[in-house]
Amino acid sequence: MSHAETVSRDTHTLTDPPSAASSLIYRVDVVPKNPDQADTVDLPGVGPVPCYPVYWFSSPVPIDSILDTLARQALIDPVVQTYHLSQADTAQWLDLSTWPQPIDWIMEQQFLPGVTDNLATTVGKSLSLLFSDQALPAISVASGTVYLVPKTSFSPDALYQQAQYQLFNPLVQRLSVYPASQWQAHATSRFGFPHVMAPQVPPVDVIPLDVNDADLLALSQQRHLALTLDEMKVIQTYYQAPSTQQARKAKGLSLWPTDVELEIIAQTWSEHCKHKIFAAKITYTDASDPDYPRVTQIDSLFKTYIAGATKKLMPTRPDLLSVFKDNAGVVQWNDTTAVCFKVETHNSPSALEPYGGALTGIVGVNRDILGTGMGAKPLFNTDVFCFAHPEKPYVQRPKMLPPEAILKGVRKGVEDGGNKSGIPTVNGALVFDQRYRAKPLVFCGTGGLLPLKVPQGLGYEKYTQPGDTIVMAGGRVGKDGIHGATFSSEALHEGSPVSAVQIGDPLTQKRLSDFLMAARDQGLITGLTDNGAGGLSSSVGEMAQETNGALLNLEQIPLKYPGLAPYEMVISESQERMTLSTNRIDDLLKLAAQYDVELSAIGHFHDQGTFDIQYNGTLVGSLDLAFLHNGLPQMELEAVWEVQKLPTIYARAPRSATPVLLKMLSHPNVCSRESLIRQYDHEVQGRSVIKPLMGPLQTGPSDAAVIQPILGEAQGLVVSNGICPHFSDWDPYHMAANAVDEAIRNAVAVGADPASMVLLDNFCWPDPVASPRNYDGRLKLAQLVRANQALYETAVTYGAPFISGKDSMKNDFDDGTYRLSIVPTLLISAMGKLPDIEKAVSMDFKRPGDVILMAGQTNVHMGGSLYYLVKGWYSRYCPHVKPHLAKALYQATFECIQQGLIRSCHDLSDGGLGIALAESALASPYGADISLDPILNDSPELRWDEALFSESPSRFVMSVAPEHVDAVKAAFQDIPLMVLGTVTADGAFTIHQHQKTVVRTDVSTLRKAWQTAPATCYNTEEPA
Amino acid sequence: MSPNALIITGDGINCEEETAFALSQAGAQCQILHINQLIAHPGQLSDAQILALPGGFSFGDEVSSGKILALKLQQQLGELLQTFISEDKLVIGICNGFQALVKLGILPRSDAKTQQVTLTHNRQKRFINRWVTVQANPDTLFFKGLSEFMLPIRHGEGRLIVPEDTPIAAHIGLTYTDDVNGSHQQIAGLINERGNVLGLMPHPEAFVRWTQHPAWTSMTPEERQSTPPGLQIFQNMVSAVRNGQSDTPLSTAGTPERSAV
Repeated sequence: MSHAETVSRDTHTLTDPPSAASSLIYRVDVVPKNPDQADTVDLPGVGPVPCYPVYWFSSPVPIDSILDTLARQALIDPVVQTYHLSQADTAQWLDLSTWPQPIDWIMEQQFLPGVTDNLATTVGKSLSLLFSDQALPAISVASGTVYLVPKTSFSPDALYQQAQYQLFNPLVQRLSVYPASQWQAHATSRFGFPHVMAPQVPPVDVIPLDVNDADLLALSQQRHLALTLDEMKVIQTYYQAPSTQQARKAKGLSLWPTDVELEIIAQTWSEHCKHKIFAAKITYTDASDPDYPRVTQIDSLFKTYIAGATKKLMPTRPDLLSVFKDNAGVVQWNDTTAVCFKVETHNSPSALEPYGGALTGIVGVNRDILGTGMGAKPLFNTDVFCFAHPEKPYVQRPKMLPPEAILKGVRKGVEDGGNKSGIPTVNGALVFDQRYRAKPLVFCGTGGLLPLKVPQGLGYEKYTQPGDTIVMAGGRVGKDGIHGATFSSEALHEGSPVSAVQIGDPLTQKRLSDFLMAARDQGLITGLTDNGAGGLSSSVGEMAQETNGALLNLEQIPLKYPGLAPYEMVISESQERMTLSTNRIDDLLKLAAQYDVELSAIGHFHDQGTFDIQYNGTLVGSLDLAFLHNGLPQMELEAVWEVQKLPTIYARAPRSATPVLLKMLSHPNVCSRESLIRQYDHEVQGRSVIKPLMGPLQTGPSDAAVIQPILGEAQGLVVSNGICPHFSDWDPYHMAANAVDEAIRNAVAVGADPASMVLLDNFCWPDPVASPRNYDGRLKLAQLVRANQALYETAVTYGAPFISGKDSMKNDFDDGTYRLSIVPTLLISAMGKLPDIEKAVSMDFKRPGDVILMAGQTNVHMGGSLYYLVKGWYSRYCPHVKPHLAKALYQATFECIQQGLIRSCHDLSDGGLGIALAESALASPYGADISLDPILNDSPELRWDEALFSESPSRFVMSVAPEHVDAVKAAFQDIPLMVLGTVTADGAFTIHQHQKTVVRTDVSTLRKAWQTAPATCYNTEEPA
Repeated sequence: MSPNALIITGDGINCEEETAFALSQAGAQCQILHINQLIAHPGQLSDAQILALPGGFSFGDEVSSGKILALKLQQQLGELLQTFISEDKLVIGICNGFQALVKLGILPRSDAKTQQVTLTHNRQKRFINRWVTVQANPDTLFFKGLSEFMLPIRHGEGRLIVPEDTPIAAHIGLTYTDDVNGSHQQIAGLINERGNVLGLMPHPEAFVRWTQHPAWTSMTPEERQSTPPGLQIFQNMVSAVRNGQSDTPLSTAGTPERSAV
């Protein structure tokens, strides 16, 4: 057999361990009884490919009869499936000649050694269920898929290429392709068991830092520490200090750091964990007027603007219980309960392995909620994605996954992460821009419910004391996710570490979650936090600050497989783990056993001022907590703002706006997300009030989600978001102000009380630190400064404090020859209260004859508008927010909704008035008859097409019963409010200006345009 | 008199709270019980008149949905479940609970003691969350007073497959009015031969207040006066126990308690 006939590329060099050589390998093929009814996958260019599951088993002794029972009782569905059990090399192989269509090639896929295989874990569990009364040999399980490729002109190499990212991702899986003719004889092409090699545990290394600057920097890069030269020198100086050396001698430690210590410092000081840029001293030069540049000194963007706004609002907001200090912001809900909310990004992992990246993003932020205060119960998920569109021309580099693979993988990750955890995905957004080829952005948010009182005291505090046991709960530790925190602090490049990729296990986490709620209520834990970025080094390191010290015993950490170096155990980001503190370890262990949760005591907290790490009784690291957490010098950066020189290009208004309106409705950034939304469970927990799609046709795109946090109670929780990165090209100040306005206006549209709003900020920025490879870093930093300034201004005016936030500052791609940066992006997530869920309002028109009104002021805000984008026009002016006017408008809207005066309310965003009217109509069976004259008379400077498509912020389209129009007008007083027309019974949709009809269509045409968008990449199937 | 309802949780089940809420709204005294706790103390089953297997993703839906939960129930509670059913007590399996009952061989016939039909991947090969119209058989205990109404489906494996020689007509409790997932005869729910075990893919516990309906904002307050059909199903179960088992001790219905395991 020539090489060309068999393709199997194993990117790992792991081989079978010595003990595996003597083990017996079995395999079970689970095949359909009727091959005609086999599952198929569509492989582009090849067509439908039948496939079936396959399992591998490894055992030291024969297990034929055990596997026979297992296959019969657990692996097959006896109604539709049968199985074939064989032992590697010796057995009769399954007869494929009876399959109806000829098979050309066989492809087998399995996980790489050590990668999380949830199916195999469940099969292992089935073994212990079936044979609970007998001692089983040590059986290992792996799962995979067999693909039977019909007649094709593809070579095996081409098949492999075609399958890559469609059927498998080489970072976590491997694929073997071989000719069907050799199915019987071709044992060497089939996979054996993916054993993890088990070499000797690498020793702890001492890393001398008495080297020159170039070597220091090289060390940082080789070990993926992501530390700058300055930071390496701070570490060098610290270890050279006589006081440090004296202390280390006394403890019997090496004078230079051990690899354990250096890795912990790198994790703790990573941009991901430390937010160095947001904490930096910045010299900001505003050179908008080049002749008179104004210079401002900023001591930390975070303290000045984000926390600054919250501090200013604190006296008016007694409901803020815990902000910026815990895993999530906590707000009081009622007399007994608090709600918390956190949004994270998972961009870098999603760029490499979209499924695992999105999945671990979601279960990761769920753990932030589980780890808030004494443990909160997750209530809802909200997910926002920014991608390059697969159907537009996009950059291709070897390290970049195709945009379609990213979209498909992330979608599946969200489905599994949310659905399998029993947490509804209530809200989200999807933004396309080709610059997200640099990195896809995956924002994952979760809200939770927390009791105000727990046995120890307040539910939103922590009660860890010196002497408490450190407990690791949940999954085991493997090599997954090593250097995740430092990796996300670098640009993506060719050598990005493979081990940074992880896959989640929602079932283990669900068990963990059920257990934690019980442990909290029974008073068995004194504190907890999640293991996310940086693993134990971060979780224990952070909790150690509560008591001023901790000791970790590495040999007590349960491992997935042997062979981990001590430093790897400390920084591994293996999923589904929480770190707990307890003074009742025995009771906690008993409870965990009842919930099938693995628990290990791995050390204790103390008050000695150090984070100590022992391995088999030997001290392998001792870090001064003061140095670890406060030793990092504040960064000093320079920012220079220059007004962006943008052209002005536009032509005359069209005769009719019907074609452009339909085109805008089917634009990727506007069109229906129904096929995505339907695959996410958005109703589990029974709390939903306003769902993502509402109305009699279940098509209306809701502005925000409303849920009932406590079943049976009237008060509703509103969740919304605002994201408008395209305005960054004009001025990130306006981008940020618009994002805040959009988040609040979406919430108010469904009935939220504007006085109850709280905000979360998530920045995803291109690297704002100037360097030779990043020549415009100072501008990017100035953009960041301006966005922060806008946040402060708008948040303070709206009275909406920030309670939590996160930043991801290295969203660039750089492979040495090509550099691409994302557009500066800010997601604002908002949460508010609705006094009575029965008062919630949806965006669809409700009754023919209702009066359609527009609230808010329309200006010539065409820069960055969808209309100009579709037309290919440019304007120098992007939308500007007027926060004081907006605040009054939101208050008036809230009062009208409270009085039951508003039948429908929809916010104006992408596409302005035209799109908002179309959406309110297409969500209903009704049409609309609209006149633009009231707007044109009020603002004579507007053209009619500007009136229709301007994206001025802070506006709503409402429909109101005729008898209530006067009451609404009275409530709005001098706030702009215009009667534009009426809801029509016949479905006709017409818009006039000065006796001319500029749009004439009907609601079903609008709906069709909106639902059959060109974004076929996520419309993988016909709608249900 | 409030019947006692046991709502099973654990191993990835995730609709236990709203199912208990629905049953308690309907007048049952509810206890949410971890499956391991029930296995450790199986006597608790005999105190209950209603057993609910809620929706969720037991064992992560790995191998196939409901399969490993069915294996666990069969291995560790099999005979007790059969006794429970033979005493004409009520069982409701919703979504993943329905899948488990089918794979346990309890539906369509409870006395068959082997799996007779299956629930597998939807025709669309994907998870679907939407509200669908269903037609109920009002001559059954569970659907008394109900005919055509809407409920949400939230599943990836809801397509019923019935082998040719398996009689199914007498077991049809609920059908979809449209072909939503390729299910055999558009079947959405099955009832056993004794009429006391219901399994259904749609989620009745997700329609116990009108503000859960996707079009509730289009309805007038008058249109939202009647009992939501999802709640009606649980009320029917509670009434059936009350009418059939008057000797059960009296207790007051209230907020469901999550039992400490």
